[in-house]
Amino acid sequence: ETTKVVEPAQPTAGMQSLRSARFLKIQAEDGIYPEGIRSPNPALNQGGKSRGRQYDKDFLLQFQEVFKEKPSVNWDKTLKETVGDGDSGSARPQSAR
Amino acid sequence: ASIMAAIHDPSSVRTVFHDSDNFNVKHPLMNTWTLWFTKPPTANDKNWNDLLKEVISFDSVEEFWGIYNNITPTSDLAVKSDYHLFKQGVRPEWEDLQNKHGGKWAYQFKDKKSVNIDNLWLHIMLAAIGETLEDEDDNEIMGVVVNVRKGFYRIGLWTRSTGAGGKRNAAPNNAGADTLMKIGRRFKETLSLEEADKVEFSGHTDSAHAGSTRAKAKYSC
Repeated sequence: ETTKVVEPAQPTAGMQSLRSARFLKIQAEDGIYPEGIRSPNPALNQGGKSRGRQYDKDFLLQFQEVFKEKPSVNWDKTLKETVGDGDSGSARPQSAR
Repeated sequence: ASIMAAIHDPSSVRTVFHDSDNFNVKHPLMNTWTLWFTKPPTANDKNWNDLLKEVISFDSVEEFWGIYNNITPTSDLAVKSDYHLFKQGVRPEWEDLQNKHGGKWAYQFKDKKSVNIDNLWLHIMLAAIGETLEDEDDNEIMGVVVNVRKGFYRIGLWTRSTGAGGKRNAAPNNAGADTLMKIGRRFKETLSLEEADKVEFSGHTDSAHAGSTRAKAKYSC
């Protein structure tokens, strides 16, 4: 083959999981998390419509190193069109080299 | 009963902590949030509206981290940039009808070198999406913002009202000053400020009418 077909970018497994996963209904019941992962602070989720949807900082920070998937295959383009690519107007001092 | 058994069977629930490539549940946020960015103006830009860009909306804890881990940190942004994280449907401008009667708690970090602005911005975003800045039914939080400026970083927390509730002529459902003060104290705590460092609240219309001079703070704590 001499011509290379350019396939559209495929979502990663993590992106697909994010899309297809269902929302936990009432989380923080004992037993859903692997050992070593803390549940959300139960004091925050004692009733009302917010039940299971308030999360303390320490609970949320546990995800930081675990989920690093880009939101979409087009993310780099989205970022370039909004936040910029860092080349123009970057706060980083220009390299002297 | 068998459906309930399946829901509560821990072995059928795979969180991102079990397998970050193959999970089948995610953590819902109480609100859908939209991240906005203000680009620093260049000579070609005519008005601020062209500089305000909607980046992405999200409604799960997992997606928040995917975004946070793949976006420019605040400490790398150019002067005159802002990130805004607002509830979906609210533009991060005081002209938005939903912000018209509101105001903001704010704090300026004047020593840019000594402050870890990335952590502070992360912590205020986590408090917003985790819904710990207000109590259920307060319904005051509109969004949070970080401004990168030449001489300082500023973090703000926008509220729906200015705490005029209970007073004559106040709009219905307007929170009272006590609610705004409670939110202010949580804002201060989230930013890990010392007691002597005062966070200040001002109404958007007061700020707008004050022009270049600084609006008088309505509350502080």
